[in-house]
Amino acid sequence: MSQSLRPYLSCVRSTLTAALSLSNFASQASERHNVPEIEAASSPEVLLNPLIVSRNQEERVLVEPSINSVRVSIRIKQADEIEHILVHKFTRFLTQRAEAFFILRRKATPGYDISFLITNYHTEEMLKHKLVDFIIQFMEEVDKEISEMKLFAFFAPTTHQNDIEKG
Amino acid sequence: MLLLDYQNVLIESLLRDRFAPDASPTSIDQVVSDFDNVTFHISTPNTKTQILVSISVKCYPELLKYGAQEILEREYGQYIVEPEQAYNFSVQVDLEKLPESQEERDDLVKRISLLKRNAMAAPFEQAFQEYAQLAEQMRGLTLESAPQGLKEGGEVRAIHYRDEEAIYIKASHDRVTVIFSTVFREETDRVFGKIFLQEFVDARRRAIQNAPQVMFRNDPPLELQGQPGLQSGKGDIGYITFVLFPRHLTPQRQPDVISHIQTFRDYFHYHIKASKAYIHSRMRRRTADFLQVLRRARPEAEEKERKTASGRTFRVQG
Repeated sequence: MSQSLRPYLSCVRSTLTAALSLSNFASQASERHNVPEIEAASSPEVLLNPLIVSRNQEERVLVEPSINSVRVSIRIKQADEIEHILVHKFTRFLTQRAEAFFILRRKATPGYDISFLITNYHTEEMLKHKLVDFIIQFMEEVDKEISEMKLFAFFAPTTHQNDIEKG
Repeated sequence: MLLLDYQNVLIESLLRDRFAPDASPTSIDQVVSDFDNVTFHISTPNTKTQILVSISVKCYPELLKYGAQEILEREYGQYIVEPEQAYNFSVQVDLEKLPESQEERDDLVKRISLLKRNAMAAPFEQAFQEYAQLAEQMRGLTLESAPQGLKEGGEVRAIHYRDEEAIYIKASHDRVTVIFSTVFREETDRVFGKIFLQEFVDARRRAIQNAPQVMFRNDPPLELQGQPGLQSGKGDIGYITFVLFPRHLTPQRQPDVISHIQTFRDYFHYHIKASKAYIHSRMRRRTADFLQVLRRARPEAEEKERKTASGRTFRVQG
């Protein structure tokens, strides 16, 4: 793990752990509704201050807590055109399977590549620290995966070009 | 990864079966497709022993203009017959008059399965000849003293071999330039193509000093000025230029060079598709990994003791 990645991830980890103290909270605006307040944003007093943890200009995490839900949005590093395409493809692939991921949001918040929405129902059903683990591991692996795919795209041609060019 | 053959494998295997010494003649009627919208028709219209192979190429009139007729006559000589209806060129082989030796038969199979390659080779061969002439005229002249026409080289030969794509060939006194125009169907293809071509361009700087120079750009190169039907300014069309130097143009190398260059487009697009497929399978695997991590967050349901109505306990097996 590189020098700047460790503090970045540990910061995200503690922020998330702090933000994940959620409780059941019925909607104040309409009776018998129970919606994630961070998405509905109908009563400002139940929203907490959003927080951005950023590693550099390209990579950052936005944590938006509220009384019964937390929205976590991740911006994945994309240095050039090919990384941009790979990130786009990969996040699209994941969001298409959002159903299986429970906490994955189908659409990322603007300016970010992928978003998670964790509600009090998720934290009741699942272990909180494991959910944080998942997000942290996701952030680690997604960078690794993108750079591996990029390497493949670069090196595959080198091995073949000798064939077509008659050197 | 694969490297494409130059011949049509289906035609080759079909003819090889028929040419085998113990094969009994059967009737054939088969339409075979090849790259670049080329269609073959193999049939036995008259008797079972006479196999007719016809080819239809989209740009056949252009190929004829660049001397395809002579090349095909040179390659297929006695086997040429009147072109079949709706096809451009036909050869017919009589199983009763096959050459005696096995080598000659193999050679014939090979030659017929290379029908497409040979038809498309005409403009290349013509350009190579033109290069030889120009080089001859240039001998003894310096760049300054050469007449204007000689310095600029010959005309551009265009082969519109696909609906939106074409090959342009131009001969000069010290090189032959081959330019492909290629269309990328989507953004991802374009980026992958760019990386792939970048490797080609870089290759010369590294290991392969003798490789032809390759250039890639999105607007038409200067050589193509004045050509009709050129598109530019849009991101989805690219122009790939190969510069063949005299060391690639020696007579013993020419056939290989032609074959390699012809399969370039197929190879190039195949590579893009293969990369995409590979990345997709990687994403699938990675997504499965992520799901597994997430599943760990769910605590395992604790086994509760269950009782029957009479108060006895039991455990569910499995």
